[in-house]
Amino acid sequence: MTSLIAAQLINGVAIGMLYALTAFGLSIIKGLLNVPNFAHGAFFAVGAYVCYAADKVGLPFAVSLLLAFLVPALLGVLVERLGVSRLMNSPYLYQLLFLFGTALVMEQLIIIIWGSVGLSMSPPVFLEGAFDLGFTYLPRYLVFNGCMAALTIMAVYLLIERTRIGSQIRAGIDKREMAQCLGIDVKRLITAGFGLGSGLAGLSGGLVLPLLGANATMGADMMAIAFVVLVIGGLGSIYGAIAAGILVGVIQSVSTVFVPAASTVLIYVAMIVTLTIRPQGLFGER
Amino acid sequence: MLRTQSTLLIAASTVVIAALAPLVMPINIATEILIFGIFAMSTNLLIGVSGLYSFGQAAFFGVGGYVAGYCFVHTDLPLSVGLLLAMLGSAVVAALVGAFSIRRTGIYFMMLTFAFNQMIYYLAYSWRAVTGGEDGLGGIRRPALEIPFVGNIDLGDHLNFYLVAAALFVASSILLFRLARSPLGLVLDAARQNPRRTASLGFSVYRAQWIAFVVAGAIAGLAGALFALLYRIMPIDAISWTSSGNVVFMVVIGGMSSILGPVLGAAIFIWLQGFFSLIWARWPLLFGVFIILVVLFLRGGVAELFDRARQAFTRKAPKPAIQGGSHD
Repeated sequence: MTSLIAAQLINGVAIGMLYALTAFGLSIIKGLLNVPNFAHGAFFAVGAYVCYAADKVGLPFAVSLLLAFLVPALLGVLVERLGVSRLMNSPYLYQLLFLFGTALVMEQLIIIIWGSVGLSMSPPVFLEGAFDLGFTYLPRYLVFNGCMAALTIMAVYLLIERTRIGSQIRAGIDKREMAQCLGIDVKRLITAGFGLGSGLAGLSGGLVLPLLGANATMGADMMAIAFVVLVIGGLGSIYGAIAAGILVGVIQSVSTVFVPAASTVLIYVAMIVTLTIRPQGLFGER
Repeated sequence: MLRTQSTLLIAASTVVIAALAPLVMPINIATEILIFGIFAMSTNLLIGVSGLYSFGQAAFFGVGGYVAGYCFVHTDLPLSVGLLLAMLGSAVVAALVGAFSIRRTGIYFMMLTFAFNQMIYYLAYSWRAVTGGEDGLGGIRRPALEIPFVGNIDLGDHLNFYLVAAALFVASSILLFRLARSPLGLVLDAARQNPRRTASLGFSVYRAQWIAFVVAGAIAGLAGALFALLYRIMPIDAISWTSSGNVVFMVVIGGMSSILGPVLGAAIFIWLQGFFSLIWARWPLLFGVFIILVVLFLRGGVAELFDRARQAFTRKAPKPAIQGGSHD
């Protein structure tokens, strides 16, 4: 029993890293735009399917993953430039509806191109197999998954905290008008941030593909999880999403040991508990 | 468009709409429009009147549909009891969701309503014994409508069922109209424009918004129950987040400033759905493109078209068709 729980704990951390990655992207966009990106799940799904297509063509896995980041990032830039930025001055209900429409279009395009039957992909050969930990076997791909997510999050962290463009992004999130007055091109920043956030969702989709496969509802499923992660982490801080993502992954994985049927719903219970005890979220400010 | 002043006028115009609809379209389409009209009007109590941008109203629509469906599949309860139970079920769920969501404003509120919608969706999805899961809850019977001293009216007849839906449509619109003009409605209106000031004047903004949330949920539940009866099946799609997005679309495209605007939006939605699904099995794609175009090029929704036309005729400055909600 303990070994089973330990195995699920490791599993949960690895999955949770992917939740963190997706929610981190969502929280960058939310921070800059002040709008929940209802197309985030669709970008996630696009990443998975792009990775699948690249793999089918015979591209190496690393290139597939890169494409899983780049294609959704470019799509995100397009969506922001052509739509969201034009709606900057109208009530945000319009931006939401626009993103909702975009999500519908992307979801349907995926079904048209790849069909509605779920797809699966095996991990690359060098990541097959598992490490023997004595009490359980730890799949190599899971380790790779967690490491990739962690490295990406680290890289984006360094980008935001240690570079000039990062400090501009932080300024844009904190005080958009003031940043604009200081000569920062906030419009361009928002476009870049939207692209980056969408790219992170796509990369997470690509990483998840060998693990869970791809299907038509994966976007909506992941978006719901990302929203829950943001609420638990707290909307005030963009890093709350990371800890909360891992937490949600662990809750979900470990609960499959005890109450397999309820594991999907349990993360919402965690959200309700958080809201009751700490309404602003774990790391949020009042 | 219809900027109606009195309850009588609202009642008259809804009766006229309900009387004319079956003359110009197939009866089941007319019924569906009225059902989604009820759903959209209830959502507008939150979005237009209260400025609460809920993205999770399908949850309450769905709960109503499942409760009514369960009643009419497994029990012999009469119509009125089934519908009341559906409204009660939705009201209870809305009371709980509202209690957690309303204290948070703006984006937070929206994300919470969305998340709760997904939670209820998964519950419905996995509770197969009651909801039928992925296949939907089928085999829902339409009980006869029992009216004292008149007898039983067979609702298997489409026109009779339409009349019941129409009566409930008129009743819901009058109720929602009266509510928007009531002291509670004025508090909601004030809170939409300036929540802090309203609170500091001594009104309980939270309580007013919570009541509105529960009422909107109950009426959405009524619409869901009627929907389950219409096609005698409650599909899982009806409770999904896409369905929540659709109803927001109906409210926005029809116009939020009038009580009947959302009904127009519902009519356009049902018509588009029918039209697009005839052309192509992947009709949501066309629908998504339509949403994008409307939002980008016709922000005031169809109401803006009417306003523009009227402006051209009377050369008067139109009132803005949309009042921007509280933006934070």
